[in-house]
Amino acid sequence: MSRSLVIGMAGSGGDGIVSAGESLIGACASEGYYAIMTKSFGSQIRGGESSCRVRLAVDPVLNSGGALDVAVVLSWDDFLKFGAELPVSGRAMVVYDTRTGVAADDLPLVGVTPAEVFPVPISDLAREAAGTDRAKNTVILGLLAGWLGIGQEATLRGVRKKFAKKGAELIEANERAFHAGVAYAEAHPTAESRKMDPATGSGAKLLTDGNDMCAAAAIFAGCKFYGGYPITPSTEVMQFLSREIWKYGGVLLQAEDEIAGIGAALGASFGGKKAMTATSGPGLSLKSEVLGLATIAELPLVVVDVQRGGPSTGMPTKSEQADLFQAVFSAHGDVVRPVLAPTTVGDTFTTTVEAFNIAEQYQTPVILLSDQEIAQRKEVLDPIDTSEIQLIDRTLPTDAELENYQRFQLTPSGVSPISHPGMEGGNYLGAGIEHDEHGAPTASGRVHAVMNEKRIKKLGPLHKRDDLFRIEGNENAPLALVSWGSSAGVCREAVQLAADRGLDVKLLVPYLLYPVNEDIYRRFFASVVGGLVVEQSHLGQLYRILRMYIDVPGGVVSFCRSGANPFRPKEIVAELRDLALGLQRTLGESRQPQE
Amino acid sequence: MTTATATLAPKAFKSELKPIWCPGCGDFGVVQALYRALSAIGRPAHEIAFISGIGCSSRIPGYTTAYGFNSVHGRALPIAQGLKMARPELLVLAAGGDGDGFSIGGGHLPHAVRRNQNITYIVMDNQIYGLTKGQLSPTSPKGLKTVTSVDGSLENPVNPLMYVLTYGAPFVAQGTPADLPGLVEIIEAAIRYPGFAFVNVQSPCVTFGEPEQQIKTQKATMESLEGMGHDPGNLIEALDLSRAYGTTLHTGLFYRSPEPPPTFDSLVHERQQRMMADALPRERILEQFIQR
Repeated sequence: MSRSLVIGMAGSGGDGIVSAGESLIGACASEGYYAIMTKSFGSQIRGGESSCRVRLAVDPVLNSGGALDVAVVLSWDDFLKFGAELPVSGRAMVVYDTRTGVAADDLPLVGVTPAEVFPVPISDLAREAAGTDRAKNTVILGLLAGWLGIGQEATLRGVRKKFAKKGAELIEANERAFHAGVAYAEAHPTAESRKMDPATGSGAKLLTDGNDMCAAAAIFAGCKFYGGYPITPSTEVMQFLSREIWKYGGVLLQAEDEIAGIGAALGASFGGKKAMTATSGPGLSLKSEVLGLATIAELPLVVVDVQRGGPSTGMPTKSEQADLFQAVFSAHGDVVRPVLAPTTVGDTFTTTVEAFNIAEQYQTPVILLSDQEIAQRKEVLDPIDTSEIQLIDRTLPTDAELENYQRFQLTPSGVSPISHPGMEGGNYLGAGIEHDEHGAPTASGRVHAVMNEKRIKKLGPLHKRDDLFRIEGNENAPLALVSWGSSAGVCREAVQLAADRGLDVKLLVPYLLYPVNEDIYRRFFASVVGGLVVEQSHLGQLYRILRMYIDVPGGVVSFCRSGANPFRPKEIVAELRDLALGLQRTLGESRQPQE
Repeated sequence: MTTATATLAPKAFKSELKPIWCPGCGDFGVVQALYRALSAIGRPAHEIAFISGIGCSSRIPGYTTAYGFNSVHGRALPIAQGLKMARPELLVLAAGGDGDGFSIGGGHLPHAVRRNQNITYIVMDNQIYGLTKGQLSPTSPKGLKTVTSVDGSLENPVNPLMYVLTYGAPFVAQGTPADLPGLVEIIEAAIRYPGFAFVNVQSPCVTFGEPEQQIKTQKATMESLEGMGHDPGNLIEALDLSRAYGTTLHTGLFYRSPEPPPTFDSLVHERQQRMMADALPRERILEQFIQR
């Protein structure tokens, strides 16, 4: 019996591999399992190779997992193209279509012999049962249901739903294909049981991806305007809102370019409405001038950057965490701009709502740094209790304040009550040019200095927001991990794994990346002798920013690499173990008796 | 929201800020015309939002008592559009210079036109970059010698009137501070038009502009479209007349679509009303992710 399984499948574009993965994760969710599904494609718009990974488990899943337990191959050429994304382990069962013509004892795998190999006439079963090869993916669902014991009824329900609009004939054909798969699996049992433990969770589960979650959170937060331009891998945020935002009295603009997208959103915010734009790295580059405008005009705005491999076009469909510098430092001038990052599909909800709250409370643009991994993976999670979530709206001027209104009034907090067109007495000039408390343009160095101070001071309370950090593990642990974004989910599992292996490790996950909460890092590092800052970029951008603000202990080093393939928990534990051994050797040498 | 009163004098729209413009700048005439037009319209200043980009002319919102936003170079139109979508009840004006509107922000203009929001866009076209002290602009005539075209410009100027007409704008007019009553009339008509209204104002730069573009010359040479008997409902004739941009200063209405098409804002409103009925309450938005 298994508590957790990683299934990887690959085939050609028309094979319906991703669709099978979606049916599978849907069935897992209705059965009460937790799961994460990622998909990967060749660079072709249509056709070419496609693959997906589904990690399902009895317990909540924190990342997409390591090597495959089950590999399903419709075409070996296609499967092998995914290389590191679909690694087969020695404990894996490999299921492949006999039509590939490969002998079971001659698999094109290098350096690994899977535990079990099943050549299955998948195409033939599909044709016999459904009269067409196109039902191959449904046969696969039957095979997996039979071998892994995932609810047949739930899977069938998903299949029926998928073909609901295509007519009874197609539904019946696919039902036959599914049963053919199940029958084949029952007639050819696995040597070692690969059945999943029954799910323990009770109640309905949510199933969605990070982009849809982000969009839903925006609506929850009261977002009334979205302006954006299609860009992979963020476009689903706009697609979701284009279906939904109107229902809540909002408006969506697919703008002519990235600059117009953020410009329109800023215009809506000037009008007093909560507004958002979403993009990826290249789009954020284009938006940066308007980001600066939002800062100096002190207008709330949420800007989502779903990171992909960069620079430039880079790798549009692959994840990376290399936009942190851009998020923190883009746009010129002395600026502090809050940057938040979710770590899972689930916490994308709360982090997005937080982005709106910070934007509104402090009248500032906020960047939400998501990444392709969490934005486009599907995740099964428990329902989120939203009843305690507070929503913050910008502070409007009172009637008394409107008597002699000063839009940029210097206040103790640095936040000035903000009016919007339509409010009598609140009339003011918003501007990208430096201005005095009334909003009148100025070239005075003194006023400029005062206003810079105001705009930075007002964000001061963010340095104390310990609630925007997650700390796990023994607080006196000498070893530490720090990680953000999708890599944090890998590190959370690595901490559990490390504890199982006797390593004393703790973990810090910042949801607020900037401004840097110096205190929480200082306290966290107080017990730390050695550790890793884990992030998916070549430069290790968080590590470098931390070193700008904090005396990071010498034993804490950057563990980073360029994007595309996510970290795996085991490699982090191995790196941590090496680090600990290295520190131990140094300690040993320092304790040698002196001559 | 709309409270039309006929008692607002032009000076009710004049702010306390002193313009940075050079004495004799055409933009003084434009802002005067605007005060009078807004007075005739009668909406109170707090219901008016005036968005601009960067340049001498983009300072204009600050010289009115309306809500103003002097944004960044070339982006007045996107900001104005977002604002109008968010608050369709406002009277939204956008303004800027020829560089702002036809060069750095030129990519936004066709899209603003095709969305057909009820926005009035006033361009103060002086065929030169004045704020940066006299460089070539997108409407500078071919051959013009400036500090960035010492031997004369090699490029053809854009023709804003023809551009905007071909993009499909339902209201296109041209004016000049040399004919202030005419300019007031044009701006007022533009604001009253229910759709995207474009007003090109030949507003001379006294410091860096050419002698033949100054008010005195304009007064002597301008030709009223109305006086010529032009029918503003005739798009083909309007296009034909627009070809004279850069050679003859035509003033008045080039084109006003006789049957105003529905505005973006009215279509949005209709969609919202239709879709609101089957929405989950905002607090329950996550329920659509429940896997049954």
